Amino acid sequence: MNAPGFALLKKLNLNDPSSEGARWQITVMKRSRSIIGSLFYYLVLLSLSFVFVYPLLFMISRSLMQPQDVADATVQWVPKSFSLENYSIVLDAIHYWPGLANSAITSFGSAALQIMSCSVVGYGFARFQFPGRDLWLALVVFTFLVPPQTIVVPLFIFFSDLNWINTHLPFVVPSLFGHGLKGALFVLIFIQFYRRLPHVLEEAARIDGAGAFRTYWQIMFPLARPAMLVVFLFSVVWHWNDTFEPTTYLLVPEFFNLAQNLAVFNGVANQNIDQVAQAAQASGAIVQAPTLMNQIMAGVMLTIAPILLLYLFVQRYFVESIEQSGIAGE
Amino acid sequence: MNKKLRLSIRTRHIVEGYSFISLWIFGFFLFLAVPLGRSFYYSLQTLEPSPDGLKATYVGLLHYRSAFTTDVHFLPLMQQTMTTMLTQVPLILIFSMLSALMLNRHGIGRGLFRSIFFLPVIIASGAVLRELLEQGAARLPIFVQDGLYMKLMTFIPEAILEPLLEYADSLTLVMWDSGVQILIFLAGLQTISPILYEAAHMDGATKWEAFWKITFPMIMPMILVNTLFSIVNSFTKADNQIMNHLMNVVFRSNNYGYGSAMGWLYFIFVFIVLGVVFFLFRRSMSAAEGRA
Repeated sequence: MNAPGFALLKKLNLNDPSSEGARWQITVMKRSRSIIGSLFYYLVLLSLSFVFVYPLLFMISRSLMQPQDVADATVQWVPKSFSLENYSIVLDAIHYWPGLANSAITSFGSAALQIMSCSVVGYGFARFQFPGRDLWLALVVFTFLVPPQTIVVPLFIFFSDLNWINTHLPFVVPSLFGHGLKGALFVLIFIQFYRRLPHVLEEAARIDGAGAFRTYWQIMFPLARPAMLVVFLFSVVWHWNDTFEPTTYLLVPEFFNLAQNLAVFNGVANQNIDQVAQAAQASGAIVQAPTLMNQIMAGVMLTIAPILLLYLFVQRYFVESIEQSGIAGE
Repeated sequence: MNKKLRLSIRTRHIVEGYSFISLWIFGFFLFLAVPLGRSFYYSLQTLEPSPDGLKATYVGLLHYRSAFTTDVHFLPLMQQTMTTMLTQVPLILIFSMLSALMLNRHGIGRGLFRSIFFLPVIIASGAVLRELLEQGAARLPIFVQDGLYMKLMTFIPEAILEPLLEYADSLTLVMWDSGVQILIFLAGLQTISPILYEAAHMDGATKWEAFWKITFPMIMPMILVNTLFSIVNSFTKADNQIMNHLMNVVFRSNNYGYGSAMGWLYFIFVFIVLGVVFFLFRRSMSAAEGRA
């Protein structure tokens, strides 16, 4: 990096008192190079950011449009007739409030339980030496690698024998035992976190007469806040957007979560569009196929709004926590 | 006396350790080991719903054979899943590493950019991603707008342009899939001591050399973690065709036996892929250790 500058330095002979201009020239050169460098850096960052924000902007913009705006090629981002009508239609069409309640129970319930159980298990792995530890640890990794679809049939039969279908128990109970959606990953995150904490903390507590569980509960668990935040956000988000487990275990519309309701709404909308298109074809009339994209996008916005709000509040601590939680492992 | 006490502490340690993880072990048998065994058992049977529960008839490896011989969807979908994974995982790794390196630089708005880079984890996952794909939001408008397509067509034949643009579209998906991996790399980069770079700089190393001699070996474990995570993720994603096929077989046609067999084939397949990755990494990891 320095080589060209160094050569110039030699050529200009900076020891010469008369080369005030040469020194200035070098400073300018260095500065301008670093300015160009950071300009380029921010240009790349900004354009990548655009790709990441793009779907959000797309959804917001489309959800505020009327059908004629969607069809209008001159309308790019800002709708000509601004209205929140889509939202009020979709609010009913996707059974928003019951869906929200169901999503909240499965996501937040499972997340809370996973924090508790995965933290206990992670602590056990991180701080105790016992025979068979490595084997169990290998099995934790193994659990993470088994596709959930491989065991869905026996689990479904198991849960239906227990009459747990159409309840929240298939989500909550596995979470209670450190399993559930990506539970193994959360155990691994906690293991990494507890490994980094100094042993002195526990030794002090032990000397003061606290047992293993008290030491864990009063000293170590409260310290794991960064890992908790990471696990909590991952768990909530993944549960919230998951359709695989809900469509397997929640079969009646009363229990559908938001993602399921959205999928149902989308299916019905597509069917309607097909019907209209077919009818138009049959009658020979040239009718533009109606679009419900604006309504579907409003539905998507409503579905992820709670998660976006949550992220808005925790994102500042979130990335910090990732760095402290040792998610990267060794 | 002394010896006895030490022994009892050790035993206590073992008991305590096991009581912490017993919760997980219990769940492991209940929600993984037993279902896995049962799914293997089912895969050798044909299960038919009857008034008194499911009626099972032993059919041996019939389901495994029919996956390869009678099912017209299985092999093509398997191949499609494999191609997607093989093309996307390396891109995800490269992209997330570059992003992490950029975000690790000290600059204005670092926190903001980090938050933005993680946004797709929230938006573009699961059901929402499916809607977005369906509505064409995964296509960046630059490829569609301003007649770029038409302009490019005058230079590049359509047969090449079409897959090229599809590839460009899949790049946005790659970027959206990189959120967690970026964070893992970022966390890894934070653990590298700046002293190392200072020393390298003193010795006259360029930034390029410092990257390959310091950064790269130091984040090698994170590359492994990210590779595994990306592979597992691509195998269980909401738009994974083979998974949808499996779910259709199981819950639409109620063919539990065949569904289980397919699940097992898929599982074995995933494990072979992961095994290859582990093998490759073990070699390069031990090489990196040798250098240090």
